Amino acid sequence: MAKRTGLTRREFLTGSAMAIGGLALTDITARMAWAAPTDTIRVGVIGCGGRGTGAAKNCVESSPGIKIIALADAFKDRLDDTKKHFNVPDNRCFVGLDAYKALLALAEVDMVILATPPGFRPIHFAATIEAGKHVFMEKPVAVCPKGIKMVIAASQEAAKKKLAVVAGTQRRHEARYVETMKRIHDGAIGTIVAAQCYWNQGGLWFKEREQGQSDVEWQLRNWLYFTWLSGDHICEQHVHNIDVINWAFNMLPDEVHSIGGRQFRTEPKYGNIYDHFGTEFFYPGDVRTISICRQIDGLDFNASERVIGTKGWSDCGGSIYGENAWKYSGANPNPYVQEHADLIASIRNGTPLNEGQRVAESTLCAIMARESAYSQQRFRRTWFTAKCNLNLLPPAELKLTDAKPVPPAAIPGKYQLDGWVSDNTPKKA
Amino acid sequence: MSTTPATKPNGAAALVTGAMNTIHAAGSGIIKVGWLGCGDRGRGAIRQCLSADPGTEVIACADLFESKAISGREYLKQNPKYKDRVNIKDDQIFHGFDCHEKLAQTDCDLLVMATAPAFRARQMLAAINAPKPKHIFTEKPVATDVAGCRMVMEASKIAVQKGLAIVCGTQRRHEFSRVALMERIHAGQIGELVAGQCYFFCSGIWYRKAMPSMSELEWQCHNWYHFTWLSGDQVCEQHVHNIDMMNWCFNGPPKKFMAIGGRQTRNYSADAKEVCKRYNNGSDANWEKYNGNIWDHVFAEMEYANGARCASFSGHGPGTDREGEKIVGTKGTSDCSSRIEGENPWKYEGQHVNGQQQEHIDLLESIRAGKPLNEGQRIAESTLTAIGIRTAAYSGKSFSWNWLMNASKQDLVPPQEQLKPGPGHFDPISTGCDKLV
Repeated sequence: MAKRTGLTRREFLTGSAMAIGGLALTDITARMAWAAPTDTIRVGVIGCGGRGTGAAKNCVESSPGIKIIALADAFKDRLDDTKKHFNVPDNRCFVGLDAYKALLALAEVDMVILATPPGFRPIHFAATIEAGKHVFMEKPVAVCPKGIKMVIAASQEAAKKKLAVVAGTQRRHEARYVETMKRIHDGAIGTIVAAQCYWNQGGLWFKEREQGQSDVEWQLRNWLYFTWLSGDHICEQHVHNIDVINWAFNMLPDEVHSIGGRQFRTEPKYGNIYDHFGTEFFYPGDVRTISICRQIDGLDFNASERVIGTKGWSDCGGSIYGENAWKYSGANPNPYVQEHADLIASIRNGTPLNEGQRVAESTLCAIMARESAYSQQRFRRTWFTAKCNLNLLPPAELKLTDAKPVPPAAIPGKYQLDGWVSDNTPKKA
Repeated sequence: MSTTPATKPNGAAALVTGAMNTIHAAGSGIIKVGWLGCGDRGRGAIRQCLSADPGTEVIACADLFESKAISGREYLKQNPKYKDRVNIKDDQIFHGFDCHEKLAQTDCDLLVMATAPAFRARQMLAAINAPKPKHIFTEKPVATDVAGCRMVMEASKIAVQKGLAIVCGTQRRHEFSRVALMERIHAGQIGELVAGQCYFFCSGIWYRKAMPSMSELEWQCHNWYHFTWLSGDQVCEQHVHNIDMMNWCFNGPPKKFMAIGGRQTRNYSADAKEVCKRYNNGSDANWEKYNGNIWDHVFAEMEYANGARCASFSGHGPGTDREGEKIVGTKGTSDCSSRIEGENPWKYEGQHVNGQQQEHIDLLESIRAGKPLNEGQRIAESTLTAIGIRTAAYSGKSFSWNWLMNASKQDLVPPQEQLKPGPGHFDPISTGCDKLV
């Protein structure tokens, strides 16, 4: 493979904020291994909101030789600040729902940060792998089982193409978590017999609907509140903690039963998501775990995890109590930066990380819990992956000007869980 | 407490009638029973009481509604098994919001209580402080608010001093299989308890429309399940059974609560509008309050003294039914019913009894043996545990048992003098961030 032509070391050292717009980035013909740790990796950002811009900054901070060279967003006003910050030229800034296609068509882009609302992720991810680019993608990676299948298929494709895929479940890259998990997996707390995880917090931002705004634009700008875009808050936020519990078990739950509702945040501006979920995940061996998440203003904050074993317990993030008590005392670099450092290093080493399947599985668990709460039904994961074909993916012909009525928040009993027939109910307490 | 079959009465102590208020009905004579709350559960409980001991005789009955009290007596008299032991004179049938006070004045030795839970605490205190204090069988839960639980704890203390029995309808405590199982769990057969789960999630409940001549408040009491101040909400009214099992495993109540929940599916709009019209000159303008204010799902975490966190999953809805418990230790697990799995596997193979019958047998045997069972404190704690979960869910706040027990000022039931035929007492549906009182 040809050695990558790129910015010189000297150019890199002058800093990313200057002069990039003037560089000619041409004759890139294929993805290839990088021979030196400072060879420039050219990054495109799809989804330039707070998290997309944050991820881009984290990426630049993480490693030498990172250039943000192309941007895409549905809205120009969302892209402008990011464009200015990274000094990206007009001809590599793309606006609109199809902007991602134009960005992915740029041969000079080596890696893409995917940070749009999660509803678009499977389509964007599959297209990015198709285009042969490395990926950093924010969590969650889908909002429906159809999307999960796309992400898993694209991850397998990425492996074949030796493309790196890292996801924004940053605890997987946080030293205190990594070190704790090593010990848990080595048996420090014995066999895991119970676990709990939580994400309880107040409400999040919303933007008042402007006059004349189409349904689609209004929903995109308030994407948190629409299940087709965010996956509901259990998927959008709590997936972090669910992922940690999956990590501790090194397994996925066999079954799920969840209850939830919309009790406090009931105004139409909050779309159709719930404001609380209480979930029981059943891991192999009938190990039952608690998951609680809530977005209600003014209440206690708690985002944490806990696993309990036959010999002790752990907070998963630096402490083990019991027979093998231990406390992490090393450095704990910013995990939002570390995840990019790990990603970039893996690309440069020619041993690309691929977290696609794993983050898809944790997202799947969150989606299962949401669907269980919406229907109040208890079901097995094997049933869900085989029979539930819920498809919330945005249609290819979606336009920013489209009308898109908001389905009501799910009412158990009225909500039709895709593929459900009542015989699926496991008959034990 | 002992739930193994109690020592049989030896017959030596003849029942002394009259002023013997300190040895209530100990021995082999007739135990005079007063029956408070003549609805479906009350009918079940009084039958079980009469079946438990051939020396029992019902001498008085009471219900908020006169028609129910009268039909209650007829119901018993029509049953050939019991009719000879139904000796309720016309002037010993009471009704009204103060019927429990009238019943407390009667000559009965034992009260069987099965009205709506809101009134239980006052009824208990009245019975225990009566001129002739009474033994008590009470249905669960024993209160709907913190103030009520404290009252039951107080009544329970007085009962101890006076040698009175209090047994309550958490019948799992009287099932031989569970008693034998708990002995093993407490002896460490599943190791240290590190987690647990309990469930009561099922399809919904009746909604009762107003009967002729009922005032609004009386209708509310008739349709009591749907109002938190009357039933305590489903987590208290129904799920207390399973919560009590968790408390039994841990030998005490939890030290901390956290919960979420809401009301997502309950809707009785057609019936509620009809009731609304009845009490609002034909208008259904504000019918929602007649829909009731209880929630339909609650998911809670209880943390016990040793740090173990247990899940509680309760509600009414169209989804998958769940009912039961599981307890998890470092050496095994148990279904809290008859099995242990793990290092010390075990399965109960002894006699199975109907707990709802056995609880009356145990109560009456304890009275006759002069060793009155007193479950008052324990059921007050389990009721308060359920109320703690509800309060955590309604408020969204986490708090300790100590705060709930000692600092909470929660008092939902209107004062006795305000309870009379007239307007109803309506509280709003909680939005999940109520202020803690």
